Order: sequence, then structure tokens, then C-alpha cells
Amino acid sequence: MDTSLPLWLIGIPLAASPVVYLTGRLLLARPVICRWLTLAGLAAAWIVFAQVASSFSVEGDAERLIGMVALRVDGLSLLLAGVALTLGTLVTLYSYHYMAGETGEEKYYALLITLIGTMIGLGCAADIFNLWVWFEAMTISTYLLVAFYRQQPASLEAGVKYLVQSATGSVFVLLAIALVLAQTGTLDLDAIRAASPSLPLLAAGALFVIGFGVKIALVPLHTWLPDAHGQAPSGISAMLSGVVIEAGLVALLRALGALAGVTLSWGWLLIGFGLVNMLVGNLLALRQQQVKRLLAFSSLSHVGYMLLGLGIAVYSGQPDGAQGGFFHLLNHGLMKGLAFLAAGALLYALHSDHAPLYLADLSGAARRYPLVALAFSAALLGLGGLPPLAGFMSKWQIFVAGVDTQDVAITLAVAFAALNSVLSLAYYVPLVNALYRQKTSAPVERGRAIPVTMKLPLVLLMIAMVVLGLLPTLVNWLTEPAAAAMIRLFGGV
Amino acid sequence: MTTVLVVGVFGLVAIGLYGLLIVRNLIKIVIALQLLTKAAALAMVVAGQVSGQVNLGQSLALTVIVADTIVAVVGLALAVQVRRRFGTLDVRQLSTQKR
Repeated sequence: MDTSLPLWLIGIPLAASPVVYLTGRLLLARPVICRWLTLAGLAAAWIVFAQVASSFSVEGDAERLIGMVALRVDGLSLLLAGVALTLGTLVTLYSYHYMAGETGEEKYYALLITLIGTMIGLGCAADIFNLWVWFEAMTISTYLLVAFYRQQPASLEAGVKYLVQSATGSVFVLLAIALVLAQTGTLDLDAIRAASPSLPLLAAGALFVIGFGVKIALVPLHTWLPDAHGQAPSGISAMLSGVVIEAGLVALLRALGALAGVTLSWGWLLIGFGLVNMLVGNLLALRQQQVKRLLAFSSLSHVGYMLLGLGIAVYSGQPDGAQGGFFHLLNHGLMKGLAFLAAGALLYALHSDHAPLYLADLSGAARRYPLVALAFSAALLGLGGLPPLAGFMSKWQIFVAGVDTQDVAITLAVAFAALNSVLSLAYYVPLVNALYRQKTSAPVERGRAIPVTMKLPLVLLMIAMVVLGLLPTLVNWLTEPAAAAMIRLFGGV
Repeated sequence: MTTVLVVGVFGLVAIGLYGLLIVRNLIKIVIALQLLTKAAALAMVVAGQVSGQVNLGQSLALTVIVADTIVAVVGLALAVQVRRRFGTLDVRQLSTQKR
């Protein structure tokens, strides 16, 4: 691989960000330019991504040194970059009308493209401090996006909660990095792996779990998530839920992978958190009436499935579970992205004042917005794991990998996860039911039309979801190297 | 010397966390966060010293300070907006969301 390619992949979105912002400020009268510049920046990033992906499939991992900072492209980076770019592009397209006329539109696009760039960078980080820097940059760009509707008290509340909890988590990560540096004398992830196990390194691992756990929303650390995901502009909710959580997961895997030799129980830890996340996420989602909050809680349980798959892989050393976990990561990005965008489209149509969208408002929405209702239902049923949609395939893959270990405890964990998947239908189905009710609610009666730029991303995501459900092997080129990279991270072959 | 610094790190973390738990004023919360991140910066310096790479530790500490300044700026900007919308900086008054 031409080693400057990863640099371009990260550099283009990051360089596009100030251009978008400044152009927007200078030409305040014509915010349309920001939208097109953002799309152009993402298109350029896509071209580089295609080149990186094609040379990756031939030559494998690539590394590039900038001064002392190493960037390494492996399967995991490629997967994260792919999901971030896909959702990012669709969200930009979607925001064309959704965000039109908001104050600070230029800031929105500048931050959105920064967010995409920093997530790609996070995937490529090869030393542990660099990993933190990308993580922090990603987090800071999301603070501003979560509190974007600053006239709304609820958005400010969400922003404050998110900022305080994330910043505290980030301090824990830093303390862990300091412990690792003091103990091993190096920051390189591969070199740390060679260090002999010791108590401070175990403590560092625990601090990493807490610190990154805030961003992944591991269960006792999840309290910011429903507020932040519920209050952000819908496109950003899709990004937060579809990729940002997962980027945190990748960061945690990289950090724990470096400490893989310290203890053998990381796999159990991941499985344990996964099971708790599933149960708590599902139970909390059951009682939600506010659609975006419900979707946010369901993210908790989906992180649980990913953790289960990844934990099984770490425990057994077999890549199958990880492949399932990463497939679910990708599917969750598509499905939850679609669900948030569809909910956002209905929010746009039914409430023009950013008021929350309640379950009762959706009643009969399919009569006036058949396409959006269909996309929303497909996303919800996919999230619930109904065949032949994508969500079923990835859950199935995780469950099969679990049963294949022939370990009684893991088989029980898999059974628990399967029951949870059924439980989750209890809150997805009422939404679908409401959409297709005969009697239309008052907001639906007086709702406005949904523009085509908002429908297009929905249709594309829906097609992707159904196709992946029927032909799950289509994305093996992404998930297989990611699983192999993850097994390598944890010291397997 | 190292012992003193390590005690300093733990002390700052303790004060910062204690502050986060008891303080109700948003600006004071930002200050508590600052204490925590300063503990992290100090931890970087100590780690550099312990592992014999003083330059590395100090440059990491500088990076941490840059990042946490941005966080503080965003936090204070939020505080300004909160004061404008709610008329108070007391975080207990912020609860608009149902559980």
C-alpha cells in the first residue's frame, strides 16, 4: 500500500472541516454551499477509502510513521472507517433539508465531518496515547453536536450530562495510560503486549474498561446515553448510536488487547457486561413512550450483543464470534441509523419545533408517509432480529459461535441473549403497530411533506439492510479481516 | 520525590471526584473536572519520570492540557447557555427529562 493513503483518508475530512466552516461564515446567506462542500469532502474520502480497501485486500496491514506517531491500517480500522463513511455520507445527505435554516448550520456540517475524520483516525491509532487523542477529539466534536439545539433546555441538560461523564471517563483512560507507561516504558500497543503481567497493568485494564465504558455505555455508566441520543439532531443521533459507540468499543478492544496477557478473564468480563447491557437496555426501553429515547435504550442492548460475540472470541480464541460481533456492529450501524433517520423524518414532518416525538403521535403515520413508515418498520423488525433482515443474520452468527465453543456457561449466555432478543420485540412491535393503525393522530393529519433528500438515505439503508439479510456473505471482506485483526490483538494467530 | 508526586496524583483525583459528587454549581463542576485532568497530566509527568523518559512524559502532559482546555471551554460555554435558558447554574434545576 502507498503508505500516504491512510494519511489522506484521515486528512481529507479533517482538512475539509475548517473549509466548510469558514466558507459557511463568509457566505452566511447561502448555507447550501456548506452542504455541498461536506458532500464533496466525503466523496474525496470515499475515493481514498476505495484505494485503501483494494490495496489492503492484496497486501494486508499497512503502517505509516508521522514523526513518532504511528498509524496502522488493519481490518478493524477498515471496518470502522467503512461504517463511519457510509453513515456519515447518508446523514449529510439527510441533513440537507432536515437542518436547513437552523442557526449555526455551518458549524453542524464542520463538526459532522470532523467527527467522521476523527473516528477514522481512532481506528488507525497504533499507540495508546494517540488512541486517547483521537478518542478525545471525537468526544469533543460530539459535545457540541449533542447540545446543538441550544435554545432547548432538554438539549442543554443532555449536553451537560454527556460532557461531565465523558470527561471523567477520559481522565480514567489517561490514568490507565500513565500506569502502562510507568510499568512498561512504552506506548506502542504491540510493545505493551510483550510486557510481563503485573498488578498495575491489571489496574490499568480496569481503568480502561471504566473510561472507555462511559462512551460504550456499559451498564452502570450508561445514564448519559438516552438523553444525549434523544436530544441531538436526528442525523447526529444516528451517528452517535450507529458509529460513535462502536468507535468506543474499538478503542476498548485495542487497549484491552494490548493488556491481553495480564489476565485470562477479559473474555468473561466482556460477556458479563454484554449480558447486563442486554437485560437493562431492554427493560428500560420497554417503558419508554418517547420514540428517540426508546431507540437510544435499545442501543444499550445491541452493544450487549456485540460484546457477547467479541467476548466469546476473546475467550475461545476463535475468530467466529468476533466476526459475528463485527457483523452486528455493521448491521447495527445500518439499522439503528435507519431507525433514527426515519424517526427524525417523522419528527420533521409532525413537529416543526423540535418537540419530542411520542409513540402516540405515530398513530396511522403509514397512511400519509408510506415509504418512511415502511423503512422505519423494516429497521425496527431488523433490530428485533426477525429473519430475513440483517439483524437476524448477525445475531445468529454470534449465537452459533457461542454454541460452537461447547462450553456450558457460554451456551447458557447465548440462550439468555436469544431470550432477550425476543423480549426486545415487545417494544419494537408496538411502534410498528402504531405506524400502521387505521386511525391517524392529530399531528399526522396536519404533518408536512417529507423531501426526497430525506427519503433517499432511508431507501438506500433499507435496501442495504434487506440485501445483507439475504446475502450476509457480501460484507465478509470487511468483517473477516476485522475478526482476524481482533484475534491478533488478543495474542492469537 | 516520586512518592510525593504519586500522592499528589491520588490527592487531586480524590478532590476532583469528591467535588464532582457534592458540587451543584455548573462552573464549580467544570473546575472539579479541571482538577481531575490536572491529576492526569501530573500522572503523565510521573510516568515519564519513572520510566526514564522525562521528555515523553512532559510532552504527553502538554497534550493533555491542550485537550482539557478545550473541554473546559465547551463546558463553560454550556454553562453560559444554561444560565441564559434556566436562569440558574444549579444542576439540580436542570432535570427536564423523565427517567
